[in-house]
Amino acid sequence: MRAIVPIKQILDPTGFTVHRRLERIFINREDYIINPNDKNALEETLRLKDAHGVEVIALSLGEPRVDDALREALAMGADQAFLLTDEAFAEADAAAAALILAKAIEKIGDYDLILTGQRAMDTGASQIGPRLAEYLGLPQVLEVREVSGLSNGKLRAKRNWKGGYAEVEVGLPVLLSIAPQANEARYPHGARIMNAYREWEISTWGLADLGLAEEELSPLIGLRRKAFPPERTFGELTTGAPGEAAKELAQLLREVGSWKLESGG
Amino acid sequence: MDLEYWELLTGEAIEEEEIVYRDIWVVAEVKDGALTPISLEMVGKARELAAALGAYVQSVLLGEGLESLAQELIHRGANGVYLADDPRLVEYHLETYAEILSGLFQAKKPEIILFGATELGQDLAPRLAQRLGTGLISDCLDLSIDETERVLLATHPVYGGEYFHVSTFLGAKPQIATVRPGAFRLPFADEYGSGEMEKIAVNLEGIEGKVKVLSVSTGEAQPQVPLSKARVVVAGGRGLGDAEGFALVEELAEALGGQVAGSRGALDEGWIGQERQVGLSDVTVKPDLYIACGISGDVHHYFAMQEAKFVVAINKNPEAPIFKVADIGIVSDPKEIIPLLLSELRAG
Repeated sequence: MRAIVPIKQILDPTGFTVHRRLERIFINREDYIINPNDKNALEETLRLKDAHGVEVIALSLGEPRVDDALREALAMGADQAFLLTDEAFAEADAAAAALILAKAIEKIGDYDLILTGQRAMDTGASQIGPRLAEYLGLPQVLEVREVSGLSNGKLRAKRNWKGGYAEVEVGLPVLLSIAPQANEARYPHGARIMNAYREWEISTWGLADLGLAEEELSPLIGLRRKAFPPERTFGELTTGAPGEAAKELAQLLREVGSWKLESGG
Repeated sequence: MDLEYWELLTGEAIEEEEIVYRDIWVVAEVKDGALTPISLEMVGKARELAAALGAYVQSVLLGEGLESLAQELIHRGANGVYLADDPRLVEYHLETYAEILSGLFQAKKPEIILFGATELGQDLAPRLAQRLGTGLISDCLDLSIDETERVLLATHPVYGGEYFHVSTFLGAKPQIATVRPGAFRLPFADEYGSGEMEKIAVNLEGIEGKVKVLSVSTGEAQPQVPLSKARVVVAGGRGLGDAEGFALVEELAEALGGQVAGSRGALDEGWIGQERQVGLSDVTVKPDLYIACGISGDVHHYFAMQEAKFVVAINKNPEAPIFKVADIGIVSDPKEIIPLLLSELRAG
């Protein structure tokens, strides 16, 4: 059985600070990480590899530096990795990215499962998975918190549903999006990290390899501007006697608003 | 001046737009026989957008026996409601819903389509956007119209709300957006509001749900007011030590008329269910007052509570990251502070 996991590399949010008053973003350290939720998808797939011997193929679209994300995926346990990079991909929005990934998935072929993270932390979007499923004509199960069974060409999963969860059954091939609470992603072994850089080959595909034309990738959505939440004024830290602190806080809560009277819940 | 004459004057050929996309469509959701609040919130916002565009607000409902719900949509501001009334649509399946909606939208050519950023909307909207060959902006907190270009402007959080992108459509239609529940106000009901209701033909030949639901677990009891809408949230974490310590959080929440929540740590300890976990993937809160007790405050927690208007943090560890985002920080054991605070509040 073969599973394909598209992963996204994003700017590490701990490496930049957002200055609300100046409405600027200061990049202190330009580091890139695998979108944390995509790591959950990879982890869930690797568990299927451990339990059912599923072959795991990682796939990523982006600049050549995305190579690092794929090496990390290999170090975690993926069997193969493909890097989709081309100058023509630079402006890709969600629709274009889904098209590029779908073409690559078709080219890899013979898949039973596609697993994505539920949400990309950078854009906040959760549309690549369903767009892929639509393009490839697959059923989808989103927000999966546990893959509970895989046998006879069928998969069982628990998905978040209306505050609780629903257990569902679906035939393969299927696309799943994995909820962040599904698992804690594993840390790769030191030796595997070395190997990932020394020994593994990562195949690289561009526009022509995927049979795409540049005009198919015209973005549908554009960024008009950035906006910033109102500035937060950070208050003082009380380290004094607990009794004093409690008194001050009670006083403050009364001043800031009479929540007790108004809220009712 | 007619177009031909204008072409003659300027020497430019003017292409007449072949397809006219019109009106703002709201895909309403039904839960337990009632419209969900997000459905009405979207109708309210759609009215504002429609005023800027000179357009109508249309809504679509899927299920069975929907007339009274359609009437409510009209009272809240919809000019028209299309009903897909069929027993096969009572239970949600992506395949059947997408078939009905894509057929309807291909026929009606909406200028804008709004879905709730709910489990249903997030399942359906991207698939429809893909099927209709158009764009989608997810999880919008604000919507407006750029009147000079007649396009939708959508504000949506990036990096979990660190800041926002105001995105727009570059010509693709329909313009589809999913809207975060609670982002917009409920519109007032106008009992005299009138509008059209129309049943649409439901043809589902050869279409059936591919995902079989075996069982549904509502799991944990739901908070009375959804946590995401609570005005006061008192949250506890591992720093409370034990269930007894966490009970203090519940007591404080009650005294302040607020809701109880917890961090990942509190979930792992079994003090709360998932529906009360404040985290990026679980519950995002934006109360007027957020009190974090014994929560160190990792990045997931931060993203989920950063829209709180006023943040109080109580933690023993002065280095806890939570203090960086707190308006008031108390470096002390919450188990000591909360009882003192409670007696102060009760005395006051």
